[in-house]
Amino acid sequence: MPVDTKRIRGPEESQSPLLFLSPDKAPKASSRQGVRGNGEVRPMFARCGLISQAKGSAYLEAGNTKIICSVYGPREIERKDETDMKTGRLVCDFRLAPFSCLKRGAWIQGSEERDLSQTLLESLQPGVCLHRYPRSQIEVNVMVLENDGSILAHAVTCASMALADGGIEMYDVVLGCTLRQNGKTCLVDPSYSEECGSWQEGYGENQGCVTVALLPNLNQVSGLTADGELREDALADAVRSCMDGCHKLYPVLQQALTRAVKKKAPPPEK
Amino acid sequence: MMAHVFVCDGIALTTVARQQHILITGWAAEVVRFPVFCVIHALYCCSISLNTHRNLLEISHKICVRIHLHLESRSERLCSTEDCIPGTGTYLRHGYIFASLTGYVLRKNEGEELPVISVVRETETQLLPDVGAIVTCKVTSINPRFAKVHILYVGSTPLKDRFRGTIRKEDVRATEKDKVETYKSFRPGDIVLAKVISLGDVQSNYLLTTAENELGVVVAHSEAGAQMVPISWCEMQCPRTHAKEFRKVARVQPEYLQA
Repeated sequence: MPVDTKRIRGPEESQSPLLFLSPDKAPKASSRQGVRGNGEVRPMFARCGLISQAKGSAYLEAGNTKIICSVYGPREIERKDETDMKTGRLVCDFRLAPFSCLKRGAWIQGSEERDLSQTLLESLQPGVCLHRYPRSQIEVNVMVLENDGSILAHAVTCASMALADGGIEMYDVVLGCTLRQNGKTCLVDPSYSEECGSWQEGYGENQGCVTVALLPNLNQVSGLTADGELREDALADAVRSCMDGCHKLYPVLQQALTRAVKKKAPPPEK
Repeated sequence: MMAHVFVCDGIALTTVARQQHILITGWAAEVVRFPVFCVIHALYCCSISLNTHRNLLEISHKICVRIHLHLESRSERLCSTEDCIPGTGTYLRHGYIFASLTGYVLRKNEGEELPVISVVRETETQLLPDVGAIVTCKVTSINPRFAKVHILYVGSTPLKDRFRGTIRKEDVRATEKDKVETYKSFRPGDIVLAKVISLGDVQSNYLLTTAENELGVVVAHSEAGAQMVPISWCEMQCPRTHAKEFRKVARVQPEYLQA
């Protein structure tokens, strides 16, 4: 496990400042009653084409979660032994910025980030037409700037927007949505406090988190991640709610992509 | 956002969401060349309006009309295979044509065949070197057996990332393949026009050939540093020192020669 040796840790008596936060400033599970219902996703802001050096890029904000993604490619594969003659390869890199969570993270990719990268790769792969890019690789780099819950789902959406912006041929965009089951209540698109706040309440039945990656036009699920203890029917309902959530996000994505295409070039005149 | 199409007596009036009224007449005698910009949302509206256009076109005598549909789509169902032939940026599934790129939908109607529908993006599409494509490359290193190159352009579009290629000794010339000396054909730093013969193996790079008259060294610098002038198919001369150096020179196309 690589350790960051360049940081100065401070004297041994030092403690985290989070322990000394006054109670009203400490983040607690806020109720959604006034702001949005249990089945509603947070309003999303999406823009494409911010990073000029990358082939395609996208920035997404949902509530306080902020994610930026850049796409490079198709490029020549660096490691020769992994070259595939018939199809291209998709390489995903998921990173959480050190300032994204309450507790400071490390710049080196941890095991959780590697896990999320692998899930992201599996979710995006069915959507991209890799057979059109033989012997090449497409790199997707996702960076989470602020973690306020359901980062994997929004990362999937952001990555597919960036791929679309970069002109990579795809069968369909991939949208993601998360659901947090907390006993009887299910919260779609949970914030950070909603996602992990309830673990303190103890392990009961139906405590878990489900993330679904969906191709809306083809109505295919490309990625499914579930965490926790969920009953069979609760899981099925959760997946269905996530798919509904994904469909609600689709118009925002379309609008952002349309805007990006129009900004790049006016319609062809003939 | 719905597009309404009213057809009466061969005149189609299409109202679009942004209140643009576009009149299309396609009677036999009139040649109509008319760009139509419609923002169409639902599939059935799309098919109705497209069919209407097609009917009008059938009435008129074989006009080459290009209809531009300002439809930015990503995997939206464009139409069924009976109406059009899929072009670039689209794919076929379950008998329907879907868009695979984000861009403008272009529908070209030429002659008797079905129109070709394609999705275009104004920025140059990333081309990959394909078998049979003429590429422009730069020689990076030479070897008695082969020369290693970096592919810079495919056709006339520059590549953002460089791909690596190899020109084997036997692919330098068409005649006297065994008597070729790489040192007398290429030098590092030369710009070479070559053709892709194969995508290569897992281990090797793209395989290129210069075994044609029009392929070979285009720009080369002499040992003195000046850009050399080609004298024959196998020699180039430096204008400063008048020294001749051996290269496998590409024959200039007649259209580029200034008399």
